[in-house]
Amino acid sequence: MFTLHPQSGVPIYRQLVDQIRRLISGGQLQPGAELPSVRDLAVTHAVNPMTVSKAYALLEAEGLLQRNRGKPMTVAAGRKAQTSLAQRIKQLEPQAAPLVTAARQLEITERDLTALIKRTWEQQDE
Amino acid sequence: MSDSVIRAQSLTRSIGGRTVLRDFTVDVPAGQVIGLVGKNGAGKSTLFDLLLGFALPTSGQSSVFGVDSKALTAAAKARIGFVPQSDELVGLLTGTQQLGLIASLHPGWDPSLIDRLSREWEVPLDRRINTLSGGERQKLSTLCALGHKPDLLVLDEPAASLDPVARRRFMQEILAIAGDFTRTLLYASHIVGDLERVASHIWVLRQGSLVWQGELDQLKESIVRVHVRADHDLDRNLRLPNQLQGRVQGRTADFTVSDWTDAQLAPLRADLNAQVEVEPLELEEIFLALHA
Repeated sequence: MFTLHPQSGVPIYRQLVDQIRRLISGGQLQPGAELPSVRDLAVTHAVNPMTVSKAYALLEAEGLLQRNRGKPMTVAAGRKAQTSLAQRIKQLEPQAAPLVTAARQLEITERDLTALIKRTWEQQDE
Repeated sequence: MSDSVIRAQSLTRSIGGRTVLRDFTVDVPAGQVIGLVGKNGAGKSTLFDLLLGFALPTSGQSSVFGVDSKALTAAAKARIGFVPQSDELVGLLTGTQQLGLIASLHPGWDPSLIDRLSREWEVPLDRRINTLSGGERQKLSTLCALGHKPDLLVLDEPAASLDPVARRRFMQEILAIAGDFTRTLLYASHIVGDLERVASHIWVLRQGSLVWQGELDQLKESIVRVHVRADHDLDRNLRLPNQLQGRVQGRTADFTVSDWTDAQLAPLRADLNAQVEVEPLELEEIFLALHA
């Protein structure tokens, strides 16, 4: 369900928060959907349970997840399945910055980078 | 105070005029998984010896479960599991005999747990220990420390001889133990990538001194690499606040800094009149930077 890279430098709880947020805004995780338990997620991905628990707590504080006594965490009800375009674009921003940096370092122009994104987009459609 | 699993106050040990552990102070509540990192000779094994009462401090004091390390009671010892760097298995015994021996010393021994783990970890229990491989001995030594379900598990390089598959299984078991947040693990390893997965907290020992202690997440957010790119040549003597490492080359510069906060980014961009990007670092890079 998640792709975690413990050695990417980005703290694991942040990776989890970002991915769950994306899955919820994109509608892949619908209101009421159950999340794996802290323990299961920690053992499956071999990451510390405290960091998983921290991610869940942050998302709960944001109102995205709901804690249920004795039951798995769920995606909070009453949220629109998909957030606004502006919000979703904002979530993509952290991914865009490194891409642009890399392109600049390689002296790739804005136009060529845009073309690359277009090409990649089309390839994934096929 | 009695809630602390481990407490140390200015713990110091000198051998022959050389200080191997200096002024070590911590207070550990239950539930943490502490990754202990440090170069060879940084004082990791000395720290374990002092905490567990195998050696005496020159000054300072430590306690485990509220009991002075120098005089640990049987009750306190029964709550501790220790996997030493070189195992203390009896070569002429079989694995089953060795486990039986350890089990007889522990009233709370859980045979079903050990049965399950020895199957999952593929430990050949019917063979004499002196015919086992390094990795098999290491697994057996770990089983000896797990059977009584200790509240504090101290591991000194427990996975160094394990292959990647065995290491992953081992870590998953460690995390299952940590999963209820009531048991505490102190885990020393040079395999920093493993600690990056399992640890909630990190202690960095350097030449006998604790140079960093805190949450792993916090460590990773505070020590980062800052890349600067300008349209003009940068000052060759440019330094950033809290700099650990730095290199200026023409229009670009890379710095590793501590105590980073994202609030520093905008002023820095304005100050240098340059593009500034922040790159998070893996724990191994952080470790190297702290030893630069």
